[in-house]
Amino acid sequence: MPANAPLGGGADPDEGAASAAREAGGEACAYTSYEDGEAPESYPKTGEGAEGVEADVWAALREVEDPEMPVSVVDLGLIYDVTVEEDGRCTVEMTLTYTGCPAKDMLTNDVRCAAETAPGVHEAEVRIRYTPEWNVNMVTSAGREDLREFGLSV
Amino acid sequence: MTENARDDAGAAAGTTGGYEIPEETPAAGSLDRDTLTAEQQFAVEEQLFRLADDEFVHAERLTEWQIYAPTLESDLALANVAQDEFGHARLWYDLLQELGYTEAECIWEKPADEWTHSTLVERPFDDDGWGNAVVRGYLYDVAERIRLEALVETSYAPLADRVGKALSEEEYHREHAANWLDRLAEDDEARERLDAAVDELFPHALSLFAPGPNEEAILEAGVRRETLADMRAEWLDTVVPYLESLGLTVPEPDAADRPADRGRDGSHTDAWAELYEAFTATHDEIDFDRPARLRAEEAE
Repeated sequence: MPANAPLGGGADPDEGAASAAREAGGEACAYTSYEDGEAPESYPKTGEGAEGVEADVWAALREVEDPEMPVSVVDLGLIYDVTVEEDGRCTVEMTLTYTGCPAKDMLTNDVRCAAETAPGVHEAEVRIRYTPEWNVNMVTSAGREDLREFGLSV
Repeated sequence: MTENARDDAGAAAGTTGGYEIPEETPAAGSLDRDTLTAEQQFAVEEQLFRLADDEFVHAERLTEWQIYAPTLESDLALANVAQDEFGHARLWYDLLQELGYTEAECIWEKPADEWTHSTLVERPFDDDGWGNAVVRGYLYDVAERIRLEALVETSYAPLADRVGKALSEEEYHREHAANWLDRLAEDDEARERLDAAVDELFPHALSLFAPGPNEEAILEAGVRRETLADMRAEWLDTVVPYLESLGLTVPEPDAADRPADRGRDGSHTDAWAELYEAFTATHDEIDFDRPARLRAEEAE
C-alpha cells in the first residue's frame, strides 16, 4: 500500500469488495473506494486569498510532496488551514488520506519544517484533523494533472 | 458472599453493569481538552484506552497471519486490516497523548495488567486456525461498528473529529470476514472448525461490553451515547442470527461460561503475558535516550 495515498494501489480484502463492486456494475478489480463523496464546500483549501506571512506559508507547503507521489500536499487537498499569530507562531491543520499512513510522522515533520522556512514564522505546529474526511475529489485540478502524469488515473 | 450472589456479581461485571443514560448530558462536540473537569477527563481517557487497546492488540494478533493465510490475497488482506487497526489505535493513542501521556506510557511501557482490551483480541489462534481468525474478525468488526456509531455524537470534540474516518475504514473488514464465513460454512469440515471457534471466542467477545471503573462517568459526560447493555443487545441481534443462518451453533449469551479474566479491568488470560513480552521486546532493547533523528529534522 502506498505510504499515504492508496489511490488505486490498496490491497483489497479478497472477494468482498470485488463482489460488491461487481454487483454495483463496476470493474472486477475494486479498490478502496476514494471515488465516493464530493469535495465539501470550501475544500480543497489552497491558500487562495491568503495574505502576508500566511501566504508565504502556503507557498512553502506547496514544495512538500507526498512521500510516494510527486504531488504537493496542497494539491492533494491535505492542508485544511494555516494561521500565523502576530508573535510568529504558526499552526497548520492537515489531514491524511488514510489513518494507517506509515509516513505520518515524516509527512507532518516535513510540513512543519516547510512552514518554518517562511519568513516571519517563528515556530510551527501541525495538527491532524480527520473532519471533513478526505476524498479524491479534494485533489486540485493541478494535482490531478500531476497524478495523471505519474500514471494514476483520477 | 453466597454462591448466588457471586454469580450475580460475576454476571454484572462480566456483562454490562446496570448503567443508564442520564437525562442531561453535554452536547455533541461541546467538550474540549481545556474544558474537561477531572472526572470528565477520566471518562475520556477510559473510553480512549478501551478503543485503542482493543485495536492495537487485535492488530498484533492479525499480523501473525501474514505468513500463514491460505491465499496470497488473504495474506495481504489480513496485513491490510491489521494496518488499518494499528492506524486506528494511533488515532486514539494520539488523543491520549494530547492529554499528557507519552506513547511509551500508552503502549510500550504500560504494565501488562493496565491494558484494558477485551480478552477476545488477545486469544491465540490455536488449532482452529484460519476459521478462528475469520470468526474473531467478524465478532470484533461488528462490535467495532456499533461502538463507533455510539461515539458519532460524542461530547468530546477531538474524538468526534476522528470517528467518521475510522467508521468509513472499517466497513470492508466486515465484508471480508463475512465473505470468508459464507465460503467456509459451505464445507462440512470447515464449518466444524468455525463452530469450535465460535464456541471458544463467543464468551470472550462478550467481554467487549464489560464496563470499566469510569463507565458511569463516560455516560454522564456524554463521551458515549449508548449504554454497553444496548450495544451488546444490538451486537447479539446482528451476529447471532447471521451465524445461525450459516448453520453454526452460538452459545446462549447469558449461559455462556464467562472467562474469569475480564479484560476491561486489566485481568487477562494466560495468552496475554507472552504476547505482551513479544511486542514490547524491541522497545525494551532499543536505547531511546538517543533516538534516531528524522531526515527533515536534520535539514533544519
